[in-house]
Amino acid sequence: MPEDAARRRSNSYHRQIDLIAEMSHEFTTSRDLGQALQRGLKRVTAFVEAEAASLFLIEEQTGELVCRACVGPVDITGLRLPAGHGVVGRVVRQNAVAIVKDARNDPDFGALVDRHSGLTTRSILCAPLSVRDQRLGAIELINKAGNGFFRPRDRQLLRALGASAALAISNARLTRAMVDQERVRRELELAAEIQRSMLPGRMPDNFPVSGLNRPAHEVSGDFFDILKLADGRIAFAVGDVSGKGINASLVMVKATSLFRCLAKTHRRPGLLLGAINRELCEAAAPGGMFVTMATGLLDPRTGVVLLANAGHEPSILHRDGVFTAFPADAPPLAIDRDLVAKTMPERRIELAGGALYLFTDGLPETRGDAGMVGAEGVCRLISRFASLPADRRLHSIIDELAPAGVSPRDDLTLLVAEDLRPKPILAEQFEVCPECLCGARHKVEAAALAAGCSKELAKDVVLAVGEACQNIFRHAYGGKGEVIMELRHYGDWLEVQLMDFAAPMDVGKIKPRSLDELRPGGLGTHFIRAVMDQVSYLPLPDGTGNLLTMRKAIR
Amino acid sequence: MSVILDVRDMDGTVVVALQGEIDLQNSPELRKELLASLASRHDVVVDLARVDYIDSSGVASLIEGLQAARRSSLKFSLAAASAAVMRVLKLARLDEVFAIHASVDEATKGH
Repeated sequence: MPEDAARRRSNSYHRQIDLIAEMSHEFTTSRDLGQALQRGLKRVTAFVEAEAASLFLIEEQTGELVCRACVGPVDITGLRLPAGHGVVGRVVRQNAVAIVKDARNDPDFGALVDRHSGLTTRSILCAPLSVRDQRLGAIELINKAGNGFFRPRDRQLLRALGASAALAISNARLTRAMVDQERVRRELELAAEIQRSMLPGRMPDNFPVSGLNRPAHEVSGDFFDILKLADGRIAFAVGDVSGKGINASLVMVKATSLFRCLAKTHRRPGLLLGAINRELCEAAAPGGMFVTMATGLLDPRTGVVLLANAGHEPSILHRDGVFTAFPADAPPLAIDRDLVAKTMPERRIELAGGALYLFTDGLPETRGDAGMVGAEGVCRLISRFASLPADRRLHSIIDELAPAGVSPRDDLTLLVAEDLRPKPILAEQFEVCPECLCGARHKVEAAALAAGCSKELAKDVVLAVGEACQNIFRHAYGGKGEVIMELRHYGDWLEVQLMDFAAPMDVGKIKPRSLDELRPGGLGTHFIRAVMDQVSYLPLPDGTGNLLTMRKAIR
Repeated sequence: MSVILDVRDMDGTVVVALQGEIDLQNSPELRKELLASLASRHDVVVDLARVDYIDSSGVASLIEGLQAARRSSLKFSLAAASAAVMRVLKLARLDEVFAIHASVDEATKGH
């Protein structure tokens, strides 16, 4: 071989190696892979002396080949070829380089590219873009200059470039997927944070309602809320949106907002659930999503809860060591506007020193060593931690089901509403009548003396109770009727509560009269106000009766 | 046990001695007794020495007695009220409306 020819070949070989190295480097370091591919294609076209070149990538959804970069007289970027079309399609399918000397005689040649590029294809060199078994597309060079043919060394060059371009494309895609994943994760974290901020925080000590939520995922479909109303009562709710993840949590956010907004105007849990249902049904929840929800209204002065339950887990009353379950009274919300009646049924529950628990299905459906925990298991945990203050009790129960640091399988939400009044030192239920007043007074006197009242003070309390019973007999019932009388001793206070079940009293009628005129009646109310330090009348919800609360400082 | 322990005539004055607790159960009986005595045109002294409780209905019976006596220009007074009864009369600001004497003897002397 002549020395010149050998040197030329050697030079050309080195230039080829340099080109591959440079372009591989550019593919992997470029911030804009599209531009790097375009530049690479241009250099290869010039180096191999082709008339045109194009790079096709497979579109994942359709399988079509889409031109992503091109060199030549007409820009065909964006051109789509049907899956498997032409020589490009064959190269992708066979994952092997093809040299076509005469395109017109190639059975796969489909003149589609020519129609757009304005060229007449004679010869083709086409290399696959693939990483391991993953087919990404192909690079195609068209028409060797001077009517020549593509040579084996052109084939090697294109195969090497195809491999490095494929790797760069694959890496870029992986990176993009990771960035997307990271963005979604950060957004979910943010959503969870917003969601957590919507849950009420830790309640002050001795607040009668507390709740706790432990989500299974970043975002939760469970919710609870506690709302102190202007009239002294406390509205609370626990709910669960069917399904998990971000869409369930968005419906949950809507349900919580509706509760918070509507609880202030709908002072009856049944009316409230009816209103929330209608609002949720206004914009249908996606994918047959529904909401189960139990809501209550506690009057801490009486220990009475009004409760309504739409398709939710039964609420459980724990009183004197006995459990009573209150199942749902209506189907879940957000299914049908008319499925939950405008005024759905309510239950009136006297806590009487007990505690009412509301929770989501995550609790009974937690798997323990012997299968599901079940409602019985939840009751056992309530019993076990009953002596703890509410906040620690809820944490202890949830920790048993999902030890701290372990994400539970399902969202866990638990709320408790309690009667925190001290146990009465006297509790009597009797039919009020003139003949029974004396006996009732003697019991009150004995209890007041036992609580440490002086004799004079006890007599004052007795006078107030006597007069109050007389008012109930004469004015509330206009005759005999049931009365519940309770005496409580709070610190330095003695409190007497008398509850009747007569029509609501007209407070105007029970105002004390002026003492300036001498007449026989109307002194009772004056006596009560004169001997007691605090007196309040409260009509019971639904006009079911009246509650008189009287307090006297006993030290 | 009746709230009326004894009704006796002392030199033309009827002394109505009461006992126990006067409330809605027995105040109608007291009212009836007081009005009957006054209807017979006698002055009345109500002996409260054995009364340890009186409520507004009992006080109302006493007020009715006082009003009836005034209408008939008869004397009507209370005697030997316990601290508990005095407390109630004072609460109603009736301690200055009724003539209240330390004992029945003192009360009858005043008649």
